[in-house]
Amino acid sequence: MTKIMINPITRLEGHGKIAIFLNEEGEVENAYLQIPELRGFEKFCEGRPAEDMPQIMQRICGVCPEAHHLAATKALDSLFNVEPTSTARKLRELLYSAFFVTDHATHFYILAGPDFIMGPESPPAERNILGVIGKVGLEIGKKVIQTRQQNHWVIQTIGGRGIHPVFGLPGGVSKVLSEENRAKAEEIALQDVEFARFSLKIFDDLVLKNKEYLDMVLSDTYTHRTYYMGLVDENNKVNFYDGKVRVVDPQGKEFTKYSPSEYLDNLSERVEPWTYLKFPYLKKVGWNGFIDGETSGIYRATPLSRLNAADGMATPLAQEEYEKMYAALGGKPVHHTLATHWARLIEMLYAAERMLELCRDPEITGPDIRNIPTEVPSEGVGIVEAPRGTLTHHYITDEKGLIKKCNLIVGTTNNYAAMSLTIKKAAQGLIRKGAEITEGLLNRIELAWRAYDPCMGCATHTLPGELPVEIAVYDADGTLIDTARRS
Amino acid sequence: MEKTLVLGIGNSVLCDDGVGIRVATEVGKKVSDPAITIAEACQGGLFLLEAFLGYDHVVLIDAIQTKGGIPGQVYELQPEDFPSALHLSSPHQVDFATALKLGKSLGLPMPSSIDIVAVEAEDVTTFREICTPEVEKAIPVAVEMALRKCPAHINHIRED
Repeated sequence: MTKIMINPITRLEGHGKIAIFLNEEGEVENAYLQIPELRGFEKFCEGRPAEDMPQIMQRICGVCPEAHHLAATKALDSLFNVEPTSTARKLRELLYSAFFVTDHATHFYILAGPDFIMGPESPPAERNILGVIGKVGLEIGKKVIQTRQQNHWVIQTIGGRGIHPVFGLPGGVSKVLSEENRAKAEEIALQDVEFARFSLKIFDDLVLKNKEYLDMVLSDTYTHRTYYMGLVDENNKVNFYDGKVRVVDPQGKEFTKYSPSEYLDNLSERVEPWTYLKFPYLKKVGWNGFIDGETSGIYRATPLSRLNAADGMATPLAQEEYEKMYAALGGKPVHHTLATHWARLIEMLYAAERMLELCRDPEITGPDIRNIPTEVPSEGVGIVEAPRGTLTHHYITDEKGLIKKCNLIVGTTNNYAAMSLTIKKAAQGLIRKGAEITEGLLNRIELAWRAYDPCMGCATHTLPGELPVEIAVYDADGTLIDTARRS
Repeated sequence: MEKTLVLGIGNSVLCDDGVGIRVATEVGKKVSDPAITIAEACQGGLFLLEAFLGYDHVVLIDAIQTKGGIPGQVYELQPEDFPSALHLSSPHQVDFATALKLGKSLGLPMPSSIDIVAVEAEDVTTFREICTPEVEKAIPVAVEMALRKCPAHINHIRED
């Protein structure tokens, strides 16, 4: 038997890397976030039946298969020019709301929580969920696991499979919801609403009432004035599943609102020589480098961006929390990156309330779940809000429905330029001439990046942990002087 | 009746990254026992913890890349082989060791044994549904190793 010790960083060669370059004065000159590339995706899809896309696309990402499944399904609706039935739309949205609850809850308690509950300077060994349950109590940990399990049950029941749903079809879904399962989902939704409210209370108690944390949230180090993007319904309220993409400028004024088919009129992609991933930006503003402000086409698509881009939330409790947040942070839009955590919890409450509404909708158990497509396919675009940002799927097929071309803009990619800005500004604000570069300091830089909850697709299931990330600091001569690693 | 979970982890459309799922699928073709469940997962962290709940034994199969590793090499590992992971925070969720410790701390019904079969991967960044040649060759070896980790059920192995 071969026994080896494994350094988790070796699980993936192409790990994410934050490189910080200092000038001769020892101050931050530049900072870059490099993201590994996956190869051959277009070629992989070419020639496949379009109907396979909801199954294949969801496998490109281990974290949000539900988002890819639904974006792909909506792209098929568009491709075959078929409207899903009302019940089908509602079933899709119900599954998606359950997914948002579990994803946002996981982020807050597992990823963001440790920084605030344990403190950004606490030792890494304590700055995790174990530290959180040690400090706040075992019940929190049990509740997180229970929430995840229950909502995964909803996803599995509606979607037909636990991890990779199989229910999305052009024009509808493949399975009806029984009354027995509806009643159980309603019970889960009720618990989700209470858990989301409880989570907002924790955020209020632990972050907003802590002056040090609140100062950190509001500090210039973690602030950027950018454009904001999010899907809105016909009343300009936040919607995760459907609607138009609305973009507001750094003043909060509507800049554009477009249908999925118009995304290429609104977005372009910038290529930089130091990374594989492209940087999407607003075409009508243009690319003016890594700067923020009105003249820069850099936009953000995050939970906070969605709230900034909308006029409010479509459910009553979430709307109350929405108003509370903007009142507390000085009105719209909010430019403080770390307020994304607050926005994420408001979205969790909205998702839970929406889930409850849908469970109580008489149509949800209806038998009419599919309109059969009859038209010849050619081109289709589908957009949903993934937890990490606006997700666009675009397919072009031949007349037989075989894929000729596909293009995706995924949640995290939208934010790539903004994440790069955020990292640089945090590094500049925190690394001072002559000061020792401590673990806590590097964590504070990483904390800025973590607010976006970046997801790098395939890498997320690595055995020892998740996507490894390395922070490397170089001096003016290009010599590596410090590193920190996360697995 | 003690329950065993054979869990393949990875991405089945990302070349060698999907080798764990391929191996688990092959194990599924060779065993016929209601006490053995074959499943796949695409994520680590809490997903693994949740997948493990209620099983007495778990055989986890994944791709791995180690420094100087030879593609196709098959390893038998234990959760303790990942000690450092516990002391590192995670950019997206929790690491494997933290997830296991969390399960124990919360008093959840965790398995009494977890065995890991890992296959050294060559290419985990190209989209395709088959593995590289050396990793393909390693699949039967990994299948045998995974089967040996289900000793209570060895009599139920199908003869092909």
